Amino acid sequence: MNATVKVRVERERASRGGLMTPGRWGGSALGFLGLFVFLVVLAQSAMVVQARPQDLITGAHGMADILRRAMPPDFSKLQSELWPALETVDIAFFGTTVAVLLAVPLAIMAAHNTSPGRPFYAAARSLIALCRAVPDLVWALLFVTAVGLGPFPGALAVSVHSVGMLGRLFAEVIEDMDMGPVEALTMTGANRLQVFSHAVVPSVLPSLLGIALYRLDENIRSSLVLGFVGAGGLGFELLTAMNLFQYRTVSLLLVLTFVIVILTERMSAALRRRIG
Amino acid sequence: MRTALVEADGLGMRYATGRLALDGASLSVAAGELLVILGHNGCGKSTLLKCIAGLLRPTAGQVLVAGRDITSLSGRALSEARMAMAMVFQQARLVGRRSVLANVVCGTLGRHRNVTSALGILPRTERQHAMECLEEVGLAGFATQRAGTLSGGQAQRASIARALAQRPAALLADEPVASLDPEASEEVMRLLRRISSSDGLGVICVLHQPELARRYADRILGMRQGRVMFDDTPGAIADRQMQALYEGVVIQGLAA
Repeated sequence: MNATVKVRVERERASRGGLMTPGRWGGSALGFLGLFVFLVVLAQSAMVVQARPQDLITGAHGMADILRRAMPPDFSKLQSELWPALETVDIAFFGTTVAVLLAVPLAIMAAHNTSPGRPFYAAARSLIALCRAVPDLVWALLFVTAVGLGPFPGALAVSVHSVGMLGRLFAEVIEDMDMGPVEALTMTGANRLQVFSHAVVPSVLPSLLGIALYRLDENIRSSLVLGFVGAGGLGFELLTAMNLFQYRTVSLLLVLTFVIVILTERMSAALRRRIG
Repeated sequence: MRTALVEADGLGMRYATGRLALDGASLSVAAGELLVILGHNGCGKSTLLKCIAGLLRPTAGQVLVAGRDITSLSGRALSEARMAMAMVFQQARLVGRRSVLANVVCGTLGRHRNVTSALGILPRTERQHAMECLEEVGLAGFATQRAGTLSGGQAQRASIARALAQRPAALLADEPVASLDPEASEEVMRLLRRISSSDGLGVICVLHQPELARRYADRILGMRQGRVMFDDTPGAIADRQMQALYEGVVIQGLAA
């Protein structure tokens, strides 16, 4: 018994060594090539972005000046900035909710195991890809042109972009689902809708909720930026204050942003933990 | 002779690939009877069961459920005729996040095709019946527990309770003990035996263990290459006949 174990161990060691020797040489040659390619790409990107670290050093004086002028944050403006802050949160909340409602039926059509047919599948997949491929900032620009300035175009932008992001993730969750209960319920004589609501929904709902909460968290951050193109909220206030050189208002807005982002991150993480 | 609940007559099944999976297979099961189908992998026993369950349409022959041929039915008529038969699979196929009781109530959905049940609301009136089914399989104490927390044997028994909740006349079981340990297998077989003897259901059970079949079946049907080799009471079947179901296959497998 002992002898056979020893033989096996030796044989394994020998075969591993045998594999390793050429592997090590081949691996390092490939490694050098990879490193070289990486350095070349890095060098060209540094050239293209016109990276000049010395500018950071010479610009330090200007930065310090802005920081000095931004301190302390102008808390007297706090009350008037609460409304835009609420707008920012609501753009994300409304946009995400609408997106979830639209993404669920789309995802069902875009998951090969629940799709009602090939044309539906193709249509849903292309719509999802389109919504996803165009960034929310670009959607916001389009909607601001269409419906005018304000939070509504922001909410539209958030929801259209999120439909794409959520639709794809939802479809993946549905595709990874265990089909056993679906087949079992079909055998009991339940119809398509019943099978869907009693077998598909309970299996995927927790994952979908988790993804939606994560999306809400992301959308609050992106709705802060959407104001830059006129879609309301804190972003718009930030842009205005910057243009008027009111740096103490800017710093207040950044504090507000920081608080909102941290709070929503914490809340969404806590909720997701409870669902899991 | 008792009248047959489910009867298959001269079933043939040729797949699109040209493979002949069933070749004139016939069987019948009466109320209160436990029929076990034995055979090696690929002998056609699962195909036979699927044809009977109406999941596959045989290319020849007919399946009579309560005297009605279901092979010519489709759509709503088929799913209604099929409700007389409940099915249990190798895996329990429960919705892990729902309670055991909710899973069992799901077995009754076929008779509650309405808006509320389509919205995911379970028919309240069936809770009592579902509890009785759970008691029958010895899981009444687990009703409120999540189905995902059950052991393999318990889950399989819960899936049998779901099948019973359907109020079927016949129960079709496709290798119900294939992924269970010996103790849980015995428990599930005892349960199937009791369901057929006490509740008067006709049970058709595909198995891989000749020894379990001998102890629990009223009749054993041996299959080989899509054909029924024997169909008799356990006492009337010689060990040699039983072995013959599996023997040639090994040689064939080696040759292939």
